[in-house]
Amino acid sequence: MAVTGAAGSGPEHLAPADVESLGESLRQATEERRVVQVVGGGTRQGYGSPPPPDVVLHMSGFSGIEEWDPDDLTVTVGAGTPVSELESLLAGRSQTAVLPEVPGVSTVGGVVASGVSSLRRARLLGTRERMLEVRLVTGDGRVVRGGGRVVKNVSGYDLPRLVVGAFGSLGVIYSVCLKLWPMPPAAATVVIDDLEAAGQVTRPLAVLDDDGVLRVFLWGTPEEVAASSARLGGVTTEGHRWPADPEGRYRWSLRVPPALTGAAVQRLPDGWRHLAVHGAGDIRASSEDAGSAPALRDWAEGVGGAVVMVAAPSPGVDGFDPWGRPPPGLDIQRRLIAQFDPARVITPGRLPGGI
Amino acid sequence: MSLVDDLRGVLSEDRVLEEPVELYLYSRDSSLMHGEATCVVFPHTTEEVAEVVRVAERHGVPIVARGAGTGLAAGAIPIDGGIVLSTTSMNWVEIDVANRTAWVGAGVINLDLSKEAEPYGLCFAPDPSSQSACTIGGNVANNSGGAHCLAEGATTSHVLGLEVVLAGGEVLVLGGQAPDMPGLDLRGLIVGSEGTLGVVTRALVRLLPIEPDVRTLLLDFDRLSGATKTVSDTIAAGLVPAALEIMDQKMTTAVENWLGAGLPTDAAAVLLAEVVGDPEAVEAEATLITRIGKDNGARHVQVAKDETERAILWKGRKSAFGAVAQVSPNYYLHDTVVPRSRLVETMEEIEEIAARYQLDVYNVFHAGDGNLHPLMAFDASDPEMMERVHRAGEEMVAACLRRGGALSGEHGIGLEKRDMMRADFTELDLDAQARLKEAFDPKEIFNPAKVLPEGSRCFDFGGVRREIPDGAWL
Repeated sequence: MAVTGAAGSGPEHLAPADVESLGESLRQATEERRVVQVVGGGTRQGYGSPPPPDVVLHMSGFSGIEEWDPDDLTVTVGAGTPVSELESLLAGRSQTAVLPEVPGVSTVGGVVASGVSSLRRARLLGTRERMLEVRLVTGDGRVVRGGGRVVKNVSGYDLPRLVVGAFGSLGVIYSVCLKLWPMPPAAATVVIDDLEAAGQVTRPLAVLDDDGVLRVFLWGTPEEVAASSARLGGVTTEGHRWPADPEGRYRWSLRVPPALTGAAVQRLPDGWRHLAVHGAGDIRASSEDAGSAPALRDWAEGVGGAVVMVAAPSPGVDGFDPWGRPPPGLDIQRRLIAQFDPARVITPGRLPGGI
Repeated sequence: MSLVDDLRGVLSEDRVLEEPVELYLYSRDSSLMHGEATCVVFPHTTEEVAEVVRVAERHGVPIVARGAGTGLAAGAIPIDGGIVLSTTSMNWVEIDVANRTAWVGAGVINLDLSKEAEPYGLCFAPDPSSQSACTIGGNVANNSGGAHCLAEGATTSHVLGLEVVLAGGEVLVLGGQAPDMPGLDLRGLIVGSEGTLGVVTRALVRLLPIEPDVRTLLLDFDRLSGATKTVSDTIAAGLVPAALEIMDQKMTTAVENWLGAGLPTDAAAVLLAEVVGDPEAVEAEATLITRIGKDNGARHVQVAKDETERAILWKGRKSAFGAVAQVSPNYYLHDTVVPRSRLVETMEEIEEIAARYQLDVYNVFHAGDGNLHPLMAFDASDPEMMERVHRAGEEMVAACLRRGGALSGEHGIGLEKRDMMRADFTELDLDAQARLKEAFDPKEIFNPAKVLPEGSRCFDFGGVRREIPDGAWL
């Protein structure tokens, strides 16, 4: 196990190379009640309000493809594998894991643990629907597998989906098996003037609002793509160029019922940037200040949604909970997590309700 | 007060059954196993379910929730006494057209939901073969699949929220129309938990737009490998057809003898493929599949000319199990999965196992996702034959696991396969699963003895052990 930081000057940095040493690190942390932060690409560390870590676990040692037979539409991959690396490998055989399109340095494990999804989610669904198998090490060092390496499986409780968006609270994910999707031969992007026009295509791959520019993303056989773009009638370019989530001092995730995606965009305060996934109710936004966030959250929670603070300059906003209204079933969530991380060492305080 | 009196206090008298013939009926589902019910209750509301849960806890009697009883893994039978809670009276449907969702009572029949949604141009994607009888509550409990799984995902991909009654009668509404609701995804954990974590009373489901056009193709082959290679090549070409179903010769013959639909009984395998979408899309995709099929030795490719022809082709597929009932008094239907690249060799081994046990095996399967349904015909009045069926079935499951497959793709574990879970999972894996159960249901009120083998919780020496009684199998 590589020790990359010096004791006494902030947290200890560890990069375990195998499951045994990962387990040993966690067992020790539980014994000594040390707070562990798990880092893949480090792009999603802004959620919740965890205390400063005593130990930082880098997952770079769990990188690479473990198993991939293109005919099976599954890939098993180490959690520390960069998403961009996985997707470019899969693209070589015209497949995709349908993970975020502009991942930067994000890793597969980080995307799964933080529960972020592809911009193609209105058509191909989110990251949780990719999950077939998960392998993790619990807070007290037990090695656990759930699910299996086939595209369809109902054997036992659905641990693979439960870890999506759980921020490692059930254990440190070190390997996942994902359901792949074949990429058809043709792709095009069409700029449209108003959202109504998108209704011309029954189930487009994506309809995105990128700071006011509306684009429909199409794919399929050449005949289908040509017919769909003709029906939409806007300016068409071949292929897909996916926009990145907006950047700013504050980053936000708005989640609303799908039909209210446009309404949510209209309610964004002046000066906020946005990337909205129509049909999915998923709006990624950024701003330079947080003054209008409480009013936006009141509206979103009133329609059954949420406004989550994804990143903020330290130390956050006074009296503004990063997650908002606590979700139902906090007691049962605590009991579940206690079964997997009994001393609550893996980023306590990361989840809603201060869990 | 007795259990039944207490239950009649919270429900009306006629909604608590305890006559022997009623108990007999509700001690079975569509599996080959049976149990023993103490009484059967029919709550109408979520609050009544909560009351039943509180009464059950007071008396220390378990609750087994039940929809239509079409389950094949003995998930809905009370093993040694218990309250069977029928969800069939909870049959509300509330459609939100703009958001393409519906709140649906647990007792609503799967096909009825799609019929209710049809006037709005919407449908519910999961379509198990039992869809004209099975309920949404049962689909949620078993994370049911169906022919359209590969393209659209199983039930869990279509459940956005749940109303559920937990231990102590606590009612939670989980998830919602908005995506990625903060906190642990309890909704996702309850889907597929086979009624062991609580009782689901309503589900918020995703509805899909009915596609404007559809093409259904029937391709027949001299060799099974031609059919499976057509499936692989179709997907490799970038298509995910709405359905890719294969029937072997024995099954095709049984269906043809029953339906007379004009199926090619001399083919080694027939492939039913369906593509949906805008008219240009289905035309191009049907042409492509036809070409790929012919490249792989398809003798004929029949494209359904109209809705009547399409309905006949599907009727053949969906009534396959009924057709076997014409041939033999009983059948045992397995449900396993292998990686798709290993389909042909697995099928060959299944044939070999059946031959070794002198049994007739019929095959129909979801070829797109490697989900096998070997079906053994037998006569239950012959105990020696029954024993052979069991042993052959266990070998078939083992053959799939050995190839990196799964115990069950869509039917569930229930009582039927719980003791096989050890073949797939380690002690620590099963312990983790048992901990999930314990966090929800520490007193084991909800559907005890299902899914996990006894003793799954490591280091746990307390509690009642529930072995499968000797007479539980038919």
